[in-house]
Amino acid sequence: MKFSKLCTPTEHRMSRRQWLGAAAGTTAGLLGLGDLAQPAFAEELKKKRKQVLFVWIDGGMSQLETWDPKPNTQFGGPFRAIPTSVNGIQVSELLPRTAKQMHHLALVRSLCTKDNSHSAGVARIQRGDPKNRGVTYPFFGSAVAKLLGPGDSGLPPYVWIKPGSGGFMTEDAGFLGPKYGAIAFGDGKPPENLMRHKSLSAEDDADRNELRRLADQRYAKERRTSATEANSYVYEMAAQLQKRQELFDASKLAPRDVERYGTHELGRHMLLARRMLEAGVTFVKVNSYGWDTHGDNFNGHQNMVPKFDQAFSSLIEDLAARGMLDNVLVIAMSEFGRTPRINGHIGRDHWPEAWSLVMGGCGIKRGIAVGATNDKGTAVATDEHDIGHLFHTWFRALGIDPFETEYDNSGQPLPIAHEGCIAIKELLA
Amino acid sequence: MATAAGKLWICCVVCLLARPAMAADRLHTRIDALIASANGTKPTSARTDDAEFLRRVYLDLAGRIPSGAEARSFLEDRTADKREKLIDQLLSSPDYSRRMQDAFHVMLMERMGDNADWAAFLRKSFENNKPWNQLAREILAAAPKDEATRGAAFFYAKRLENYGQNPVDYPALTRDVGRLFLGMDLKCAQCHDHLFIKTYKQQDFQGLSAFFQNTFLQDAKFPTIGEKPLTQKVAYMSVMRKDPKTVGPRIPGMNEIDVPTFKKGEEYTKAPDPKAMFPGVLRFSPLALLAEQLPTADNALFTRNIVNRLWFLMMGRGLVHPLDLHHRDNPPSHPELLDLLAREFVAHQFDVKWLLRELALSETYQRSSILPKGEKPTPESYRTANEKRISADQLLWAILEATGERAGKEPAATEALRQKFVRAFAGPRREPEDEISPSLKAALFVLNDDTVLTWLTAQPGNLIERLSKLEDDKVGDELYLSVLTRQPTVQERQEVVEYLKKKSDRRAVALGHLTWALLASTEFCVNH
Repeated sequence: MKFSKLCTPTEHRMSRRQWLGAAAGTTAGLLGLGDLAQPAFAEELKKKRKQVLFVWIDGGMSQLETWDPKPNTQFGGPFRAIPTSVNGIQVSELLPRTAKQMHHLALVRSLCTKDNSHSAGVARIQRGDPKNRGVTYPFFGSAVAKLLGPGDSGLPPYVWIKPGSGGFMTEDAGFLGPKYGAIAFGDGKPPENLMRHKSLSAEDDADRNELRRLADQRYAKERRTSATEANSYVYEMAAQLQKRQELFDASKLAPRDVERYGTHELGRHMLLARRMLEAGVTFVKVNSYGWDTHGDNFNGHQNMVPKFDQAFSSLIEDLAARGMLDNVLVIAMSEFGRTPRINGHIGRDHWPEAWSLVMGGCGIKRGIAVGATNDKGTAVATDEHDIGHLFHTWFRALGIDPFETEYDNSGQPLPIAHEGCIAIKELLA
Repeated sequence: MATAAGKLWICCVVCLLARPAMAADRLHTRIDALIASANGTKPTSARTDDAEFLRRVYLDLAGRIPSGAEARSFLEDRTADKREKLIDQLLSSPDYSRRMQDAFHVMLMERMGDNADWAAFLRKSFENNKPWNQLAREILAAAPKDEATRGAAFFYAKRLENYGQNPVDYPALTRDVGRLFLGMDLKCAQCHDHLFIKTYKQQDFQGLSAFFQNTFLQDAKFPTIGEKPLTQKVAYMSVMRKDPKTVGPRIPGMNEIDVPTFKKGEEYTKAPDPKAMFPGVLRFSPLALLAEQLPTADNALFTRNIVNRLWFLMMGRGLVHPLDLHHRDNPPSHPELLDLLAREFVAHQFDVKWLLRELALSETYQRSSILPKGEKPTPESYRTANEKRISADQLLWAILEATGERAGKEPAATEALRQKFVRAFAGPRREPEDEISPSLKAALFVLNDDTVLTWLTAQPGNLIERLSKLEDDKVGDELYLSVLTRQPTVQERQEVVEYLKKKSDRRAVALGHLTWALLASTEFCVNH
């Protein structure tokens, strides 16, 4: 499969919309694999259920207070470095629990990306910075939902757990179309109307839906069937969700787990994420907000990093104990790091030049740190890696060949990752 | 039921087949002749029965279904011209301007947002049956702080809003004007001549873009936009051939407009007044020129675009489809018909109501959505009526009418409800709502929304209360007529009786379920 490097859109928007309507009722549409170019490959994917947990640390986590400490240097700040479970890898003392899980994890300390504003950075990072072809690329979650499909869990493929409001976040999906958008659990709660109404028993609900089915069958008998198929599809999907009510009920979390992950927001959300992964959701995104520490960076990180440490390390521990790390790719990252230079407000500003992230699990080598910054942490001293390299790496880790696979935007072939980049080999198991 | 009308219709068809339509015939007759001649001997669906026609024309022209009483009176009417009378009655009802306000709002704003002034502007325009060229001119001119056209500038204003730190998306504004007023999606031509659509040139995009590149949002409250003086042509270069070019403001298919130069301080005829949020009036205003030159009878792109969109509104598929891809390699399914509609529309002074009336009167419009036996006609053949998506507004008014909850609602209450329905049923921002595309969000809303479920319990005067007072064997008739605007079949009536018997210990709940199932059914939530 070769894709043209040129923008070759014929009538893409039309066909996408048509596809949405037409495929909605078919099995292919249900699996979300309908317009993948390689059906055999899709079959292969289905056999080994790969999943992703994507922790989005919004605003910019400081690499110096986390994954790439430079104690006792000009910009190093007040925190020490501590050893980890992997010989030779040290992290900030703010991450004592994650340090003990380092043998499951991989660090990348050679990120050099481009945008230093939040609005451009968040979208650019989460879309993998594809070349501009006049289409809006999907966020990583929608891309994975599309490429891996929902599996047979009966659950939506892309769930987003976040503070604030929830709902159906279709904009993440870009040209893939709204059905690949996220179902967002605002404040950890399911979107409006997801839970069966309190006045209805499960039997009542099934009963009225049976009447609806009967009416639809009768209507479709003498007419074109596509409208009925599309309508039935969404009601069947809703019925599947109603069967999993307990999963969406945060009050059903085990108290011992809540204690371990942390009673704070990120702890509860990360625990909910684990349950979603266990239940078979393909892609779970967890958001943590408030990391934009232009002022008082050190108190800020001293307050927030331990919460992240507690929740993240518990999750890694649990996934490892359950044997899930072989199939779940875990990534935690921001839109950029923070400046080595400490500003007049004892803060650090936006810094895409030299920063870090942590990942682990499915397809990723364990217990390594790839790349390095210079002594002061002001520049990448090894090969620089942009988000395009990471998309290649992640897709490969999930068993998807980013050069063989492409989106078929009805006639317009589109690469799934920036074709100017390749995977970071050292990271792949 | 409609035997007299049926005979008359057969007679009409015979006449039609017997002689070609003449120029002197009314437009709807000529429409049917052109559709018929393209179809040749292929079978078409039967004419709608009265009930199917009644529901369809109410949704299309009044934006709601008829009440039980309205339905009964039409179905019992035995006069031959009752369909024409109904069309005229709906076109002159206040429901018509509300329906058109909704249809044009959805078409032009594509769910980017609402604005009370814009809503009032559209409503008033359709109340007065403002000619389309004038309406388009007012929108495109966006005269600042003009009370007479207050709200018109919202089309631009919303598109010139800033989102966070993101820059204003000027290319998207250019695309939207091209798509919505000229039927040309110039997206790909922003960076290079379109690779597959030979007639979409980069110069077209850049020339159109030159009209907007100096516009800015002055006031979001009283939607007002301003223009900074344009002093030179726009420079651009293809990403394929590094060959620098320039172009001044230019409407696709027309001549480029020269950019004059003025001495500093002489650019305005009315100076800007920042305190009054008044952006000033330029001596050389690209927007004023756009508004003057684009919406004209001579601009075939403009006239074909609108008649194609009105045809789509009634027939469920554009003669050119997608609606924003008019070009040589995507020809109309019925080229002669598109020309005829454009010509006649211009001859009738861009009269939207007149055109909708003619479309509604055509047999093409009045065909059933039930397929001819053993046939699956393509949508563009119009041999069978195409099912149409209904908008969030149409659905709201239809559900209120069906459940008997429409009466006595305060306007403020219905506006809150409207917002709720828009959230549940509207398509994504910046996407046309031109296809039936049910969503999980919408299904969950119908399944579990508090308000909807309250309407399905007995409330004073509502449908469930009416049904609860009826004998089991009378429930089916009232239910089907109220919700689906038709009588139930014998089997459906029987099933209602059996269901109620089975649930006799919880009759109120059973009535709610029967009604819910019809509201959630495809038959209810599309316009068929």
